[in-house]
Amino acid sequence: MSLSAAPAAAGGAPWYWAIGGLRRALGLGAFLALAAFILGPLLTLLVWAFAGAWLFPNLLPEFSLKWWYYVLGNADVDKAIRMSFLSAPIATLFSAVICIPAAYAFARLEFPGRRVLLLSFLCANAFPKIGLYVSIATLFYHLNLMDTFAGVVLIQVVNTILFMIWIPTGTFRGINRNLEEAARDVGAGPLRTFFHITLPIAVPGLIVAALFAFLAAFDEAQGTLIVGTPNHITMPVMMYTLVLSYAQPVGAVFSVLLSLPSLVFLLLAQRYLRAGYLAAGYSL
Amino acid sequence: MGLALVLPPRLVLIFLIILPAITAVVETLRPPGGSGFALTNYAHILGNRILRSDIRFSIVVTVVSVAVTFSLSYPLALYLRFNTGRLPALLAVLFTIPLFVPVVIASFAMITFLVNHGMVSTILYRLGIERFPALVYNATGIVVTEVWTTIPFAVLILGAGLQAIDDALIDSARDVGAGALRTFVSIILPLNATPTLITLTLLFIGIFGSFTIPYLVGGNAPQMLGVTMTNYLTQYLRRTESVTIAVIAFIIAAAVGAIYVASVGRRERQNL
Repeated sequence: MSLSAAPAAAGGAPWYWAIGGLRRALGLGAFLALAAFILGPLLTLLVWAFAGAWLFPNLLPEFSLKWWYYVLGNADVDKAIRMSFLSAPIATLFSAVICIPAAYAFARLEFPGRRVLLLSFLCANAFPKIGLYVSIATLFYHLNLMDTFAGVVLIQVVNTILFMIWIPTGTFRGINRNLEEAARDVGAGPLRTFFHITLPIAVPGLIVAALFAFLAAFDEAQGTLIVGTPNHITMPVMMYTLVLSYAQPVGAVFSVLLSLPSLVFLLLAQRYLRAGYLAAGYSL
Repeated sequence: MGLALVLPPRLVLIFLIILPAITAVVETLRPPGGSGFALTNYAHILGNRILRSDIRFSIVVTVVSVAVTFSLSYPLALYLRFNTGRLPALLAVLFTIPLFVPVVIASFAMITFLVNHGMVSTILYRLGIERFPALVYNATGIVVTEVWTTIPFAVLILGAGLQAIDDALIDSARDVGAGALRTFVSIILPLNATPTLITLTLLFIGIFGSFTIPYLVGGNAPQMLGVTMTNYLTQYLRRTESVTIAVIAFIIAAAVGAIYVASVGRRERQNL
């Protein structure tokens, strides 16, 4: 709604000008502290991925690529990578197919109980995930969905629904109704109006929603650990084993592999993220 | 028409969330070996000293994590709202990074960073500090990692709320002579009350229900409820106990979630 008003106080001295110098100094200090806090763990991990041996108290290890050969040559790792890249896109696609029309309905159509329904999707998010998974496992036992591919996909879908409903609903709601009405006035049917007017305008918001849904599905570990063990292991689930029972560089190498999709998506979607869709998605 | 369009996700909601929850609750109300309904399972869980200490531990760790995240995020959101330039732009990129790091990796990165003989301990050693409390495999490790992973989320929601405050309101307060502090207390704080409440409750629920971080970064005992209930399910194969702990966690989170739903509901009504 107010995204266009984002850049504060153009022209004239802003009200905090008087303490601007102090603010800048504080800002720089805070920036350095935050940078160390946020980047420190990630950089340590990255160095570990290329470490042959790292003895205390050396600041840097002996570099080596041997753990990369070890991880990439492992059959279980290979299987987990395949499982992740098969299940997460299917879960995202399934979620998009069922949620985007619903999001449009929430944004544009009048029907009884609309508000309560929209809120009910939020309420689902208001419970601890792990409690939900244990309960879902109870149901899956009865339905023979434990340790199946379908079960893993369904668990991932649970994680994507909130993103796929709320971000697109906000996007559709933000589209000017006049554009749609103009198309209808010149004789376009409701479907044609949707596919030629509404959908193209909504694409950036939908991409952001799909991106978050994909990452939520791809990173899902707790539920998959319960529902997918022992034969349907995804990369994040594999990571538990690697962290707990292998040498540190093994976990580090696998972490770098596991971060690649997020990194690629971050770069691909940066244009849209900068446009403020990220914040818009959270402004609910 | 509208009802038909929202039917598929609604079915998923019912099938994967509401139905499992009801099945679970019914299961926990059955006394072991008997028929009818009783609170035997709950009495059993709440009578266990170790589980009681796990519940207390979960609440304390969650409250501390929420407090630390919030006290870091609010100033950051304020700073980003009222400053433009290269530093704020860089900060805006920096704080979103954890959002794109899977929690499993964040936990592992934190271990390599904080562990004894890890990066922090190496730097402290070089600075001549050799004795300090353990930073990981305990409550400290959980709090630090929870803060690391939740900062972007908190700053984004708080920031979106601050963005919605009209500059004209702030300028006019300044024009009639209000100082920075006064402007903050009487204009910004009340106008941002709902997003603040939403942030606090969502943080509480998210951290309270977390599993990966306490599982990897936490110690053996006491542990957070997410780990306890998973252990009961996968290690001890005691499903009923596990689900009973889950329902107790549900109830604690639902009490906090009620605040969240109430404040979101109020906003939704204003927006529609």
